[in-house]
Formats: sequence, structure tokens, C-alpha cells
Amino acid sequence: MKHSLVCKIVDILDLSDRELVKLSKINVLALSLIEMKTIQGYFAKLKRNPTDVELETIAQTWSEHCKHKTLTGIIEYIQENQEGKIKKIYNNLLKETIFKATVELNKKWCLSVFEDNAGIIEFDSKNGVAFKVETHNHPSALEPYGGSATGVGGVIRDILGVGLGAKPLANTDIFCFGEPNIKDSKVPEGMHHPKRIAKGVVSGVRDYGNKMGIPTVNGAVYFDNGYMSNPLVYCGTMGIISKNKIKKKVNHGDLILVVGGKTGRDGIHGATFSSVQIDKKSDLSVVQIGNPIVEKKVLDAMLKARDLNLYRAVTDCGAGGLSSAIGELGAKTGAIVYLDKVPLKYDGLRPWEIWISESQERMVFAVPKKNKKKLIEIFKKENVEAALIGEFTEDKKLTLIYNNDIVANIDMHFLHNGIPKLKRLAIYKEKKEKIQKSVDMNSLEILKALKVILADLNVCSKEWIIRQYDYEVQGQTIIKPLQGNNIEISGPGDAVVIFPYSIVKNTKKGIVLSNGLNPQYGKINTYKMAASAIEESLRNAVSVGADIEKIAILDNFCWGNPNKSEILGSLVRAANACYDISKAFEVPFISGKDSLHNEYSVDGRKYSIPPALLISAIGVIEDVANTVTMPLKDEGNKIFILGITRNELGGSVFSKVKGFKNGIVPSVYPNESRTIMKKIYQTINRNLIESCHDCSEGGLAIAVSEMAFASGKGVYVDIDTINIGVEESLTTAETLFSESNGRFIVEIKPKNVTEFKNLIKDCVFAEIGYVRDDRKVVFESRKNKIKVQEKSEVLFNSWSGTINW
Amino acid sequence: MFEIEVLTKKDFKNPQNEHILSDIASMGIASIAKVRYSPLYFICGKIRFSDVKIIASELLIDKITESYVIRRCSDLDVKDVNLKMNSSASIIEVWYKKGITDTVAESVVKAVKDLNINVEVKIKVGHKYYLYSKESQTTLNNNPIKSVIELIATKLLANTLVQDCKIR
Repeated sequence: MKHSLVCKIVDILDLSDRELVKLSKINVLALSLIEMKTIQGYFAKLKRNPTDVELETIAQTWSEHCKHKTLTGIIEYIQENQEGKIKKIYNNLLKETIFKATVELNKKWCLSVFEDNAGIIEFDSKNGVAFKVETHNHPSALEPYGGSATGVGGVIRDILGVGLGAKPLANTDIFCFGEPNIKDSKVPEGMHHPKRIAKGVVSGVRDYGNKMGIPTVNGAVYFDNGYMSNPLVYCGTMGIISKNKIKKKVNHGDLILVVGGKTGRDGIHGATFSSVQIDKKSDLSVVQIGNPIVEKKVLDAMLKARDLNLYRAVTDCGAGGLSSAIGELGAKTGAIVYLDKVPLKYDGLRPWEIWISESQERMVFAVPKKNKKKLIEIFKKENVEAALIGEFTEDKKLTLIYNNDIVANIDMHFLHNGIPKLKRLAIYKEKKEKIQKSVDMNSLEILKALKVILADLNVCSKEWIIRQYDYEVQGQTIIKPLQGNNIEISGPGDAVVIFPYSIVKNTKKGIVLSNGLNPQYGKINTYKMAASAIEESLRNAVSVGADIEKIAILDNFCWGNPNKSEILGSLVRAANACYDISKAFEVPFISGKDSLHNEYSVDGRKYSIPPALLISAIGVIEDVANTVTMPLKDEGNKIFILGITRNELGGSVFSKVKGFKNGIVPSVYPNESRTIMKKIYQTINRNLIESCHDCSEGGLAIAVSEMAFASGKGVYVDIDTINIGVEESLTTAETLFSESNGRFIVEIKPKNVTEFKNLIKDCVFAEIGYVRDDRKVVFESRKNKIKVQEKSEVLFNSWSGTINW
Repeated sequence: MFEIEVLTKKDFKNPQNEHILSDIASMGIASIAKVRYSPLYFICGKIRFSDVKIIASELLIDKITESYVIRRCSDLDVKDVNLKMNSSASIIEVWYKKGITDTVAESVVKAVKDLNINVEVKIKVGHKYYLYSKESQTTLNNNPIKSVIELIATKLLANTLVQDCKIR
């Protein structure tokens, strides 16, 4: 093998363990000693040292971001509680929990799960819908605008790169930030203020999504100072794909075509950087700047080429750049790539930089030789850069050439399967949750608490953010993120519905998107947090008319440093909840992504973020006419609650504002909830429900208030009717602000009450009030002599005034 | 080399000015009374002044609400040119660092070609902020004005990881 002078030979064969670790750290390889020793062993067998290109290629391929080595590694799990210890060994946590649930559920309508760039479920007999959610946390911490914009750009390319390419229909965005009103002096040196991060992130998502012509339709924002220096930025995209375009295959002899943006030094080490803590010395080279105009042209051109069957496979250049994209496509064949043929933004890039650069808006295609001319012509017509840079081979080797010199030559098998399994210890110390002291409050105190909760950062209106996004573009968003009777006043929708009539002609079907997230619960109990996030995402989808029998979910774990056994223990608990709840609701996971090592360093001390699990749900609705929104509709209509209100204030917004230390975190009762969800679907399809809203953050009082002010109507709720199905007695405040899962508030016309009650007779439910014509929201308990009364407009003002930057 | 500064006409409001002012206030700095924002375009290449005028008037401004100023630059270092002291304002200029992808600049280059100006040009896009204080120019919030303006520049207007800022 002839080595080029343009690359460096890295002497690792003679390095000691300490020197190997140092080499990994200095070069941001993020590889452990055992991994470095495995690489050392591989090259010792070859009787040569690696080039810098080879070392960087292996580091990228083996990165946590690309290989998920924590979730797929060996975990020795110990769960401790008062009764003793339980030990369990996981050889692959992902396969033994999340993926296992999907395999066991074996839903025929799941068309592609955990194998491609996105999960795909069936839409109709000819089409599938693909959904993927990614995170872009560390780049957004350093450059909020560029980081979030490229997060959106990246996940759109995941949808373009699933199968032979799906047409993107909608984006989602979910963020966790530090509290925006914190004093500058409390922000760690070298970090951006949380408000600056929030504004930058929102602008980035807005500018990329809007310019791509893809509506940003669903999301959530969560504020907690645990995310001050390490914000979480989740970006999702949903698209539609013909069933006959779902499978891709690379043949040897296929040409490698790279299209889209040129390659520069931006984004180098993004894949490995995601496994490194953030501090004030973080490097600018990991920052990426997106160009949505280029990506839009790539999208338009590639979908034309797809429909002409001009390529056999496609994938996006995401983390790890060409190294990841070509490495994955050629894993079973082999590939030879001429790095000097890659279009560059400027001169001076070294071969390894070209190879692992994460410059944006690039896609890689496997093209049969006979189609190359036609395909390149299509890209040329759209003014999209396209360059043939190599060929897929049959030697099962990755060979990289630069100026006629071989700069890398590695076995694909070693690259993809040579990574040693990491063994980690995970400990979970179960905390006994204690119920808080009985919460007795008078009418005025309850009203005050209601207003404070409505104004809380995690409950209040996110209209300032939502209105910046174009959620109407493409004209298919029929249930929108803000819902109300006029533009000035609107409430928070539970989920959105996309009606893809422009792609699927004559269809009546729709696609529901929703999400669930509550890191506050995770501070106490990550099992309940994960279970609640799943249920919340399902409740939200069901609230607008989704069928629980046809919903799939996606998981996105954002956790702290998994090398710390208690942090990893909390992750194992959450993964167990995913398995249990997915199975119990019969809702499969179809895709997921983990972002671990969310840790930042201040003055030498390391801090991990509060664990966060985002669950995104996607469902197919048979008839978009059978959907409902959350604002109340007509005076005199009856209000019902479905589900049981338990004394569950642990981790609630009410607990936070009152400063309670104790409280039981809400549990999930799948048998109860699933039955209710099925009944809601049936009753919506019989046109019996006028409006529907789930009870989540803030509890019942918040849900009812939102329904009232979104419509500009009043509502009367008799609190004494609510405590059904539960033995314990709750105080009025506990009833109003408990965040028990499994509850829905629905509005029924008087003429439909009998039929409705008849249909839901297997569920726990109560008629709790009616819609008033005087615009007053009233909660009354005659038993406890409490009457909380306020104009819906005043409650709206409390809710809408917090975020108006 | 030329620099084009886009200015909002006197009778029109640039909403960005209000946003920046509000952000400054939320930093706890109450002494800035007014902000004026101007986009900057630095054009490098063998281009005629008349073509630069076309670029400014036909491409970069909204003729109803905006006007422009063109300055000739002899110095390659864009950060050091045309930062003349304004008697009543502190000025902050923000530019991307070398090597950072400037997508707006790329779009302007493309648009220049679409105007049939067939000269190879390199373009950089920057931001200029004029900050007018309520108090004297020596102190703000009892702090030396320089340190307050520096704080606004680095904590609000520029991300120094990817951008350079120059204060006058």
C-alpha cells in the first residue's frame, strides 16, 4: 500500500495505554481505551500504523452518535430498593426493551422499523408515512441559530434519505432551555444566556423550515435551569413515500454520486463532539451553517429522479459526513472514493477533513452506470452541484484515494463490526415517593394558583414561537397548533392533523402528529417519566381523533453522562418503561435516537442535564372529517371527564409553584387509559364529541380553562362530581391540579348525552359541568364551600403574557 | 472594494430596532435610548461603481422604505473600514469569521449574476448597530460605556465563536 504525503501516519502501534487515551482526547476522537486498543490490535495485524484518515473514519463510525454503543453495549444493571437488590445483565438494552416491544407487537402496518433513516408505517394500500426525530443539542448550545437550523435541515434529509426518498410534509420541534429570566451573573462563563439560546434556536428552526416550504406544525418548549448550558433541540420531519420506494439496495459497480452543498471545514468532528462535554473552550469547527435554498433544490431534483427510477439507493450526509453515508451504503459491498473529486468550498482541506466534514445539504446516491448522464442532467437543471466521486465495489473494503495515493484502506467488516462491546455498570436506587401534606386552600388561593400556573413557563402560551413558523404552507394542515374562535385568542391544540390530499389524490385519510415530554417527573422517577411521556403523546393524538389501534411512537433519549452508573441506571429504568407501556398500549416504536453525554463543565465541575425522553407519536386517521379541536363550542353543552383523578402532584407544576418537596408522580394505567382512548375514537367517529382536550401539565383546572378561553366562552365545573373511581378523598386543590394520566375533558351536546354515556359505560367517567354563555370560568365545590370564579378573558391574559419577546 | 450600508428611511420604522432595544433592556441595561440597525454588504472584485449602485438599488434595498450609502474601501480588512465615530452613537459591527459559511452572501452573489453583472465578486454580509444612550457618553448604568457596549456586542449581537465584532 502506498501512502500519500498529504495524510499523516499516526503512530499508534507503540503507544502505551495512557498515550492512546491522550491521542483520542487531543484529536476529539471520543474513543475509550478499549476501543483505541482494538484499533491498535487491528493495525498491528496489518503490520502498519493507520493514517489520520483511517483513524478519523473509525472514530466517526464508532461514535456514540452513529453506533449507539451505550444502548447496544453490555449493561450490568442493579436496582436497589428497601427490599433488596435486583441484578440483570443487558447485552443490548435497545434490542431487549424498545425494539423487543416492536418485534413482539408485530404490527403488519409497520413497514420499516429501526433499519433506515426513519420509521415508516402504512398510510394506505399504496403509500407509507415516514417519521424521524433527531437532536442537535451541542451545536445549538454553541451557535443557537446555525445549530437548530441545521438540526431541521438534517432531519429533513433523513426523510429524503429513507427508502428511495420520501416527500416531506411537516416538521416538528421540541426544545428544553434554561429559564429565560435568569440573571446574567448566574449563567456560566462562556455560555450563552438561555433567552439568547431560545431566540436563536427558534429563529433557526423558523428560517430553515419556512424556506424549505415545509410547515412546522407540532412542538413543545420546556424550561428548566438544568438545561441552561446544554439546551435540547429536537427536530422532526414527517413525509410520505410510495410503498414501492421503501427498499433500497446497493450493487457493486454502482457509482457514488454526491449532490448538494459543497464540502468545507464546517461541522468537523460533529459526530464525535456529541459525546464530549460542552465547555467554554468548545471549538468553532463543529458549528454548521445551513442553506435551506440549496436543500430545497436538492429535494425537488431528487424526487424527480426518484420517480424516474434513476438510482438504487440514497442516504443523507449527516453526522460523520461522507464517511458515515458511504460507509453505511457500502457496508456490505465495499467502496472506493476519490476524495479529490469532492466539490470543495475552498482549497486547503486535508483528506480526512473532506471525508468527515459535516457540511450541510449533501446527499449520496448509488447510481447504476447507465443512468449517470440522465441523473446528473436533472440535478444540473435544478442548479444543484452533483459529482461522481467513486464506485461501490465487491471487495468489502473501504478505499479512499487522494491525488492518486491511497489514504485509507480498511475492511468494512472491522469498520462496522469491530467495535468492542462496552461494558457499563448501571445502578438505580429506587426512591420511595411520599404523598404531600393535604393541600387545603380557599377560593382566592386556588384562583391565584390557577393564574400562576397558567402563566408558568411550562404551561403558558407559546404563540410567540408558533406564529413565527409557517404551519400552513402546503395547505394541508387541517388541525393546527393553535386553536380558537378568532385569531387574537387561541388555545393550545393537543395534536395536529395533516391531510395529504395534494400527494394522495382522493384520499380521506389524515396523519396525526403529537408528542409527550415531562423531564420534571424524571427528576423523581424516570420510569414514570417515560411512561407518562408515552401516554401523553397518545392522549394528545387521541384527543384530535386518532385511533389508538394505529399509532406508532418514536423515542428520543437525551441523558447525561452514561459513564456514571446512577445516570445509566435511570436510563435503564426509562427503557424498561418504554417496553412495558409500548406493549400494554400495543403501540410500537418505529424509530428513535439517543443523545447521551449531555454534560457541561463549569469551573471544573461537571453537570449532567435532567434526563429527558421525548416521545413523538404518529397515527393515521381514516377520515379527516372525523377530527375535533379543543375549544368549547356551544353554550349549554355538557362537560364530561373521562379517567380517574388521583392524588398525584409529584413533579407537577402546582408542586413547583407551591414549593412542595413531596408528592406522588403520576403513574400510567394502560388498561384504563387504552379503553378510554378506544371509546373516544368511537364517539368522535359517531360525531358525538364537540371538543376534546387532555389533562396534562397543570391538571384539570388548566385543561378546562384553556378550553374556555380558546373559545371565548364560559364553563361551570362541579368539583364534587369529579372524584370518581378512587377510594381516597382529594381536596379541591388536589383535584384541580393533580396531573394524573389517562384523563380527557370532552364536550357533548345535550341531545347526544344518552348515546355518549351508553358508549362509554365501560370507562370511569363523570358529567362535571356545562358550557356557560357568560364567559365566566367557575369551579365550585359546595361540599367544601369553594367557588373559584374568573372571566375567561382574564385567564387568557395570564396564560398569554409570559413569553412575548 | 465597496461597502454598501442599507438604511431605513426617516419616516419608516424598522421593527428590528425595537426588538434589539427590548433585548438590551431585558439584559438589565436601561440606559440605551435608541437603536438603529443597518445591514452591510462588503463587495470585493473588479466591479464598477455604477454596477455597485445597481446592486444596491435593484437588489439590496426596498426602495420605498430604505436607502443606501456606498463607500469605497481601499483596505482589505473589512472590520477596520468605515467605522467613523458618530458623535452621538456607539457603533457595533458584526461579521462572520473567515471560513464560516455565509449563505446570505452566497445568495447575493447568485443574485448579482442574475442582474447580468458578469464580474466575479466575493461578498460578505455584516450587521451594523448604532446605539444611542440616554446618559452621557462616559458611563452607562454607572459602568464605563465601553464595557456596557462590549457586553451588548458579545452577549447579544455577536456570537464570538463564529462572528467577529468591532466596537467604536
